Amino acid sequence: MASTVEREPSEFKLPVPNVGSVGLNCEWGLGQQLHVFQTQKSPANASGVQELKLGVENQSIFDIRWDAEMHDIARKLVNESHNIFVMLQGQVKSLAEPALDAQLRKASKHYRGVLKACQMELIQLAESCEDVTRKLKYDTYIQEFEIVQLIWSLCQIIFIDIAPGGLILKALLDWLQWHFPEGKYLAKEVCQDEQSCSHPKYWEAVFRLLLQGNTENVRLLLSLHTHSDAESFVAADELLRKMPHWTYQHAQSAAEFEMKWRHWREECIRRYEAGEFAAYAELEMIVQVLCGDEHVFRELKDYCETWYHLLVSKLLYQNPTVRLTDLTFHVKSSQAVFNQTGLSSQELDNILQAAFEFDIHQVIKDTCTYLSNPSWWFVAHLADLLHHCKQLDPQKLPFGSNLREYLLLEYATALMSHESLWQVGVDYLDFCPIFGSSYLESYIEHIPLDNERKALKVLHICVERKLSLQAQSVCKVMGMKCLRQERLGAALSWFLRSKDAVVIKQVTNKFLTEYCEQGKFSHLDLIDYLGPSMLITNSLTFLGKYREFHTMYDSGDLEGASSLLLSLISSRLAPKTFWMTLLMDALPLLDLPKVILNIQQTYEILHCLEELHRDGTASDESLSEAEVERAKVLRLALQKNLSRAIIEEGSIKIES
Amino acid sequence: MATCSSDHTVKVWDLDEREQWQCTASWKAHSGSVWRVTWAHPEFGQVLATCSVDRAAIVWEELSSEANMTGRGGAKSSSNTWIKKTSLVDSRTSVTDVRFAPKHLGLQLAICSAEGIVRIYEATDVMNLSTWPVQVEFNCNICLSCLSWNPSRMHPPMIAVGSDSADNSAGGKVLIYECNDAARRWEKVETIFKVTEPVHDVKFAPNLGRSYHLLAIAAKELTILSLKNLKKDGNTNAGALSKFETRQIGSFDDHESVVWRVSWNITGTILASSGDDGCVRLWKANYLDNWKCFSVLKPDSNASEAEKATMQAGATMSTTPTSNVIRAAPPAGTMNIKRTSGWPFMNIKEDQGKMFY
Repeated sequence: MASTVEREPSEFKLPVPNVGSVGLNCEWGLGQQLHVFQTQKSPANASGVQELKLGVENQSIFDIRWDAEMHDIARKLVNESHNIFVMLQGQVKSLAEPALDAQLRKASKHYRGVLKACQMELIQLAESCEDVTRKLKYDTYIQEFEIVQLIWSLCQIIFIDIAPGGLILKALLDWLQWHFPEGKYLAKEVCQDEQSCSHPKYWEAVFRLLLQGNTENVRLLLSLHTHSDAESFVAADELLRKMPHWTYQHAQSAAEFEMKWRHWREECIRRYEAGEFAAYAELEMIVQVLCGDEHVFRELKDYCETWYHLLVSKLLYQNPTVRLTDLTFHVKSSQAVFNQTGLSSQELDNILQAAFEFDIHQVIKDTCTYLSNPSWWFVAHLADLLHHCKQLDPQKLPFGSNLREYLLLEYATALMSHESLWQVGVDYLDFCPIFGSSYLESYIEHIPLDNERKALKVLHICVERKLSLQAQSVCKVMGMKCLRQERLGAALSWFLRSKDAVVIKQVTNKFLTEYCEQGKFSHLDLIDYLGPSMLITNSLTFLGKYREFHTMYDSGDLEGASSLLLSLISSRLAPKTFWMTLLMDALPLLDLPKVILNIQQTYEILHCLEELHRDGTASDESLSEAEVERAKVLRLALQKNLSRAIIEEGSIKIES
Repeated sequence: MATCSSDHTVKVWDLDEREQWQCTASWKAHSGSVWRVTWAHPEFGQVLATCSVDRAAIVWEELSSEANMTGRGGAKSSSNTWIKKTSLVDSRTSVTDVRFAPKHLGLQLAICSAEGIVRIYEATDVMNLSTWPVQVEFNCNICLSCLSWNPSRMHPPMIAVGSDSADNSAGGKVLIYECNDAARRWEKVETIFKVTEPVHDVKFAPNLGRSYHLLAIAAKELTILSLKNLKKDGNTNAGALSKFETRQIGSFDDHESVVWRVSWNITGTILASSGDDGCVRLWKANYLDNWKCFSVLKPDSNASEAEKATMQAGATMSTTPTSNVIRAAPPAGTMNIKRTSGWPFMNIKEDQGKMFY
């Protein structure tokens, strides 16, 4: 697909010298973030062994982000629209047709309300802002919000609000009055003046209001004129008063209204031609407008400012019962009037034209191309709304899913690189049926886990959405971090959450080594309350039971302690390196006045000791002095115990 | 972030609290130029691998130190220590690329060398990284310059290798190998004949829900290929290799010079390429699946004062493109719309025929 006009890719210049063989390379961050750095242009390949000595002074790494600035400035917008979005999705699921339509309309109004509020805030910020560049930034945003609101309200009228009978002029008039408030301001200004009619803007105010169909205020202004008692004025006033307005309350059909309107217009024409208003040129113009005369509209086009204003004004006075579908025919003529002036901006015109022509896809495409930062926000939410109104084609596009999903994905991606709005992005991804979950999986894996709180948040998100692999991964990463910081207890708790037996075993071994070195446990409370997770791996079970042994011994329960110790020894749960320590723990039990360990148990311990020496460390020479000493002491104690046990068990107790 | 350089050193950078990059470690890693440096998944700790012209690939791990962690309140120690865990010296020629396998395959490492042999190592013990026995070794019979693992979980392990040999008779310069579980061997499943220039970098894109794989190739031009697996589901013949349908999605010469490196973003939707013109270009597909360059990052010594003002000495940061140029305030009452990046141009006339489906 070769477009006739290729758009140039946007250029971004980095303030680094463009020297000889120094070029740029980059690595990706999260979302729409790049890290760019200088590098040798041609990393010499295997065959060429050129090592160029370049020295780049003060090498630095640039962190580049795009389409993400708005999120700092308009955070409130992002958050509030997020709320509306989520609520809407919920309503879509639960509500049926008619109720849903009402909700959709409400949602649209909410979005616009939020946008307006944000814009107001920005205006205030801009006024109080000192810095020139920031002020400019704010100003551009305010402008863009204005445009977005213009487009959105038009879209709402055309695509979302289905007016009864398809007559939309009233709605369009409201739209005009909302977005072109100049007339109202002027009127106010003029009214406050003493000699209203000699105010330089008097007639301008009158015409502006007239073109917006605000006949009440026009009559008010005319009555302020010094000559308002003159016949011409009275006649004009009467005509204005008689002008039929279409309102929803009057249950007139379109045909009735049309008849009335024609009747009224004929009267206007009649009276104009009779020369009733010949005395005052301006009054003549007013009546000409009421008659719907082409030429006068051309003259008054300056008060319309834009072609779409002219379009609506003309329709008001020439064809008030225009239907939605007929709008396209009138667009061209209005545009032609304005083509000479250079004020209009091409892109916005295209968008609005597409909207008037009921070409919704064109609207979306153009908006994406031509609006800058708010574009993803605007388009994503609008597309979503229209999709639920069934206006947007849900057909699958070549990239794999429908248009709405594409835009939502883009919006979510833009949010992801933000340090705290990524959670909002996650929510949006939830509502993308086809690609959402896989995008989410890969983003979750890459979110930097700076601290525990963030890690817990991410974990919670994973668990909520049943992303067990990612949850496990998060736990492991946090565990490794703790391990590097030598915080064994925290590491163990993270690894327990990840339920990975292999790693847990290794951490437990570390615990045991620590005990060997220091003679005590460091994280007693953790080990005491292991609970069922103890059974994940043998080492952990051993650790738990060993701790239990210690508690029993300390509390004086020697019987229990010794039987536990025996079971620990004979079950061979402990890692080999730990056996010696375990056996040495039996020593105090052997030295007690009362014989605790009987013959069988003593044999068990001996057996274990032999096994340790037989297949563990190679030969006696490699064992250190201390170890050999210990083994000797242990053997001695065991022999003594054995003799005592044999005597005790062999003897018969005589009860006297 | 880690960077490697032809002055034999490797540097590691950390982002500190003020969002500035500080170089926290720098050491001489090899006795020759270091070609590539790559991180393992943080699940395995802070592990790096580097490869160099001195025929070795080395795995490094960061030494945990108390001083760093307690340094939040007090003076922050600005250097971490990295220790060499193991040195893989099986290669007889320069090692050109080293990559860790996707995390679901465990802690594995693949290296390719100029003699054309790919070796895959696996760490036997994740906690103790000193032993990495060779698991697989296969010869591609062509001088290799780059390799890339396929990160997709849905597919058996797959590697693409590229060659920068200038010899045209050797045929395709990009080869795809797949691990055949049944035969416990890696076998060549595809040769890309479309690319005949020396290849400097290949990268598989992260595969997010797509039914095909995307491969970016950096050679004289930037090429993007799609590989669709033709093996039907339910085919229980475990010994059979995948067959692929290769389609060229795009071939771009925007750099007007050799393209050296390519890199995909996390979701595999944007491709960054850097070339001999010293620029970085970003490529994106619109919803019609057409790839276009939407942004160019250029070095320019005449950067405007405004940019300089927003940067601090040392590690620097740039903000988004729209803030670069100072514009005059738009006259009141008019709408001033800027065009910026984000979407390739739509030609209305063409699209009005509703051809975009």
